[in-house]
Amino acid sequence: MRLAVDIGGTFTDLLLVDDDSGEIWIEKVLTTYPDPSEGFLNAVQKASAASKRPLSGVDVLVHGTTLGINAIIERKGSPTALLATEGFSDSVELRREQRYVMYDLLLELPEPLAPRNLRFGIRERVTSQGEVLVPLDTEQVAKLLSRLTARGIEAVAVCFLHSYRNPAHETAVAEIAREVAPGLNVSLSSRVNPEVKEYERASTTLCNAYLQGRMAEYIENIEASLAARGFAGAFFIMQSSGGLTSSVTAKELPVRVLESGPVGGMLCAAHHGRVASAPKLLAFDMGGTTAKIGVIDGGSPLVAPGFEVDRRYRFAKGSGLPVRAPVIELLEIGAGGGSIAQLDALGLVKVGPESAGSSPGPACYNLGGTRPTVTDADLMLGYLNPAFFLGGEMTLSPEAAEQAILNDLAGPLGMDPREAAWGIHELVNESMASAARVHLTDRGKDPGDYPLFAYGGAGPVHAFGVARVLGSPQVIIPLGAGVASARGFLTAPASFEAVQGWYRTISETTTDEIGDLLRHLEDQGRAMLATAGIPDDRIEVHGYCAMRYEGQGHDVRVHLPGARVESKAALSEAFERRYASLYGRTVAGRDIKLVTWGVIAQGPSSDLRLSQLLKSADSGDGALTGQRPVFWPESRSCEETPVYSRYALRIGESLEGPAIIEERESTIVVGHRARARVDGFGNVVIDLE
Amino acid sequence: MASDLKNPIHQKILWDRLISITNEQSAALIRTAFTPLLREAEDLSAGVFDGRARMVAQSETGTPGHINSMATGVKHFLREYPPERLDPGDVLITNDPWYTSGHLNDLTVATPVFHRGKAVGFFANTCHALDMSGRPLSADAHDVYEEGLYIPIMKLCRKGELNEDLVGIIKGNVREPAAVMGDLQAQIACNYVGATRLVSLLEEFALDDLEEVSDIITGRTEEVLRQAIAALPDGDYSSETWADGYDEAIRIRTRVTISGDELAVDFSGSSPESSRGINVVYNYTAAYTTFALKAAIAQDVPNNDGSFRPVRIIIPEGTILSARRPAPVAARAILGHFVPGAVLRALSPILGERAMALGADSVWLTTLQGKRPPASDFSYTFFVMGGTGARACKDGLSATGFPSGVAGCPVEVTENLTPILFHKKELRPGSGGAGRFRGGLGQSLELAVASGAPYRFGVTCDRTKHVALGLDGGAPGGAGTFALDTGEVLNDKTSRVLDRDRRVYLDLPGGGGYGDPLDRSPEAVLRDAILGYITPQEAAEVYGVAVRVSGSPDELVRLEEDYRLDLGETRRLRQQMRLGQQIRQSTEGGEKR
Repeated sequence: MRLAVDIGGTFTDLLLVDDDSGEIWIEKVLTTYPDPSEGFLNAVQKASAASKRPLSGVDVLVHGTTLGINAIIERKGSPTALLATEGFSDSVELRREQRYVMYDLLLELPEPLAPRNLRFGIRERVTSQGEVLVPLDTEQVAKLLSRLTARGIEAVAVCFLHSYRNPAHETAVAEIAREVAPGLNVSLSSRVNPEVKEYERASTTLCNAYLQGRMAEYIENIEASLAARGFAGAFFIMQSSGGLTSSVTAKELPVRVLESGPVGGMLCAAHHGRVASAPKLLAFDMGGTTAKIGVIDGGSPLVAPGFEVDRRYRFAKGSGLPVRAPVIELLEIGAGGGSIAQLDALGLVKVGPESAGSSPGPACYNLGGTRPTVTDADLMLGYLNPAFFLGGEMTLSPEAAEQAILNDLAGPLGMDPREAAWGIHELVNESMASAARVHLTDRGKDPGDYPLFAYGGAGPVHAFGVARVLGSPQVIIPLGAGVASARGFLTAPASFEAVQGWYRTISETTTDEIGDLLRHLEDQGRAMLATAGIPDDRIEVHGYCAMRYEGQGHDVRVHLPGARVESKAALSEAFERRYASLYGRTVAGRDIKLVTWGVIAQGPSSDLRLSQLLKSADSGDGALTGQRPVFWPESRSCEETPVYSRYALRIGESLEGPAIIEERESTIVVGHRARARVDGFGNVVIDLE
Repeated sequence: MASDLKNPIHQKILWDRLISITNEQSAALIRTAFTPLLREAEDLSAGVFDGRARMVAQSETGTPGHINSMATGVKHFLREYPPERLDPGDVLITNDPWYTSGHLNDLTVATPVFHRGKAVGFFANTCHALDMSGRPLSADAHDVYEEGLYIPIMKLCRKGELNEDLVGIIKGNVREPAAVMGDLQAQIACNYVGATRLVSLLEEFALDDLEEVSDIITGRTEEVLRQAIAALPDGDYSSETWADGYDEAIRIRTRVTISGDELAVDFSGSSPESSRGINVVYNYTAAYTTFALKAAIAQDVPNNDGSFRPVRIIIPEGTILSARRPAPVAARAILGHFVPGAVLRALSPILGERAMALGADSVWLTTLQGKRPPASDFSYTFFVMGGTGARACKDGLSATGFPSGVAGCPVEVTENLTPILFHKKELRPGSGGAGRFRGGLGQSLELAVASGAPYRFGVTCDRTKHVALGLDGGAPGGAGTFALDTGEVLNDKTSRVLDRDRRVYLDLPGGGGYGDPLDRSPEAVLRDAILGYITPQEAAEVYGVAVRVSGSPDELVRLEEDYRLDLGETRRLRQQMRLGQQIRQSTEGGEKR
């Protein structure tokens, strides 16, 4: 049996799968604060009771948590000090010396995790070539470390200049700490993130040090509670990169497990891609306040080298603390079901990023919200069923929706309220599609090649419209989209990405050096996977090198199959091929810089037979449940449109748009000039003309 | 989609699409460019223009100097090359400082867009070239001819073919021909991306051209800007601010006149043209002026032709803010950066919480040239930022560029690319101007070149004499210093050869404070003392706040709890200091009388 537990900001989702019988159980409980492990154990208990299966029968438990992110946002990590090269202890406060928004005179900067009085300059200096210019003052370090522990500091981040090239001084600090301050959590930048650029490296290392204590406490607590309830299986933690890791690694490198939340849905999409032979997908997750978009290529999500936490302005790049750790690349847009539509300074309709959230929520919730939202528009257009929202758990008020749209938009603009509602629907689709387009073209990809894999409460409602604007050929809506994330967890392989900054040109590098480094990184990855109990012969490795023409500022990631490089010439060729495929040209006469090497060691992927989910679906006769007036742009009017129950649609069944397909967690909109069908995996697939 | 331009939803969709297209255009440029300035600082701009060369939309990147100066630049292209002189596949170029963004290093590339057999508009972008011959970015030249290669408005491509004559001239003149040509290719390609997308947009909405959309967009923008101006009290608002300049102090005199829904900014009375390259062309001054106005009164109004219509900018020719050909202009950014501070200071009485004290303003552009062992040369430029001025409701930002949007360069990157060796790069305690809200701190750098050979060093340091003034009783920020380890204080913009063992010290200026320091909350002063932004002694002497520090004097680790406010003593100190203020005021008043 396998169990996935995904702790999100609002809900803790659980999915229990009995691989022998094919049965599944789903639990959704509120996330508990301040200790999310309470909700975790509560959900486990409930699932165990409902399934009448003891926890001792669970072989694998996969867990994803927002604990780390929350600890940073709420500044609830350990009291942490930063040790830096003398003269450079302010790097985390100097940042890149730049404003992140141009016209805002009132902006604020992110607060470093170590205040200035806990940042210390250490006498030592290593050059960019890795030579020691000033030897480490070990006496200063020893005195300082013992004083720090004496004064109640629990964690130390060490980030010396050029330690990605020569880590000796940082390693020496860790050794001294073991002697004089054995209880101290020490994070070395040369271990956490051995890449060039001192600000980003120090920030990443600080995040790690800041979280180590909290993460260890949390994981050990959960492991002990699970053991007490009889759990004896393998315990994995979901990393931001979409790979699983052991609790040992998660405790040592908590920065690797910061962003596990949105990862599950992406993995679910990737898994679909693998089993349904759809290597290219655009995962599209639209919830209450935001939409997230991610690219799946070759059956795997794109992974970015870093992200930001605790942004001052949620959507402003540069307003948060940078963390360089592999993360599934997601574009977040301030557009969700709760996004408020209003007139902007120019008197034009603007949708989001301001959101009504769940409280007071959209006007149609009748919970005190009076401002029109995307959900209000969707309701007015007939896309949502007022009596069957969240499977009927909530009744929506079309009158309240219409009133809000009339008051705030249609009235002032002199428009028909239904036209205004359509405007909201259309605008939110437009903004998601245009963000997705820039995201794709920026990566050298054509939106026409990417079917949309849509989930989240509002995803299936808007996917059709987004696909139309974007020129996507197809929309896929998975079965059980409400637990897409937990489902994704159970398909993830164990993996570890070892990274090493290089920052030398190809002519300054020998083939032997490359071979040695790649082997070293591979060993590191294999050792990490060993802690997760993955047998060495089941591990696959592949590598990459982030490269650029000397003088450029953006890298191109060149894939290295088997994490091997035959020769420098082969590496140059691979780079030029990749560069040409992205930008349509190569540049003659420039040396090539090798910026960062990475090796990903990966265990076997798990499968999740989707028939398990199908079995759980209600079966009934006659999928057509009725019809209702729904607005379609082709006629600019409401047409009587057939409504189907998703649970009664059979595999292979197909229907002509326009149509509405209702399910518990969402509603699937199928417009004109499109056909929907149920594929062999139970997904609804809409083909657009 | 059939176009219905009366429908406000369609208007919004078209508008957003146009902005999105320009974002794609600039993303394509940033990804493939070579110039470090461009990619690190997004020192570029990209936009779409209608058939009358009016800017309709612009990408959401870029620095103020480029954003607004390109808007007027394309009109010159249209004048030189009216539609009958353009063919599909043509691409135009210029680096004329007076037509575009103020110095030869900025190349503007404009590509006409053809739709249904007619030229319907342009895509244009401006970006900073790695080199343009001559004396890039330096204030040393005496006229523009010394500063580099001049390219009048001409065709870079004719019917899709590169103009090899021009390319030959460029390649033969610049120091890094491969990179410069690489960037030019990127500039051509990104306009092409935009043009292709625009044509499919026009098809989708069944439009013949951009004119009607453009009328709506620019008209609406103009209207909203007029409303924002009309909401401000009519009157004359003026300021006089100073910068160090090259060899003599520069005065910027600013008068903003608001009358109904129109606004005029008049720089008459500012210093005359300089004999060195710190002169600014009209376009560039105007760009920074509109930047300041937008930030102050119309943050959410988009940039397009309409956003310039209600604003009149008057700069007498021959002043340093509107230099005449062939004045040297390569280092025009220095004074350009002082313009927003001057405009905001003039407007401060009516800005409410957006009022702002002066900050370091100018970025310190630092240039080093020398030997790279074993046997090559290096030349390297990086930016360093001082503190920004305090706001009427918040402290200033430490070591952060304003108004410039450029970024600093990581120490590790610089040391990898060059033999430069830093010894220090830290905040500069005590440099933030005191006030109810404190000015941002500057930073201190110590560096040398570890090549064992002499090296050339220059920095466009400013605010070494004319500091960042506080506002509403706030104290000025700390003065900048450019000095050597010999103790010699240089404080000038001349580049010079330094001996191999010399270390350079740069102390960047802090921002001015806002409001009376005696009104600063004691808790904020305490926090400044804990973080070491000020000493406990300064807390008492400047802010009248008594901060007690416990523990032994040689304590290595000081925690927040080691610092305590003595509120009784603070009250006493502040009373005493207020009394002192009153006495000083009445004596000064008496003298005046």
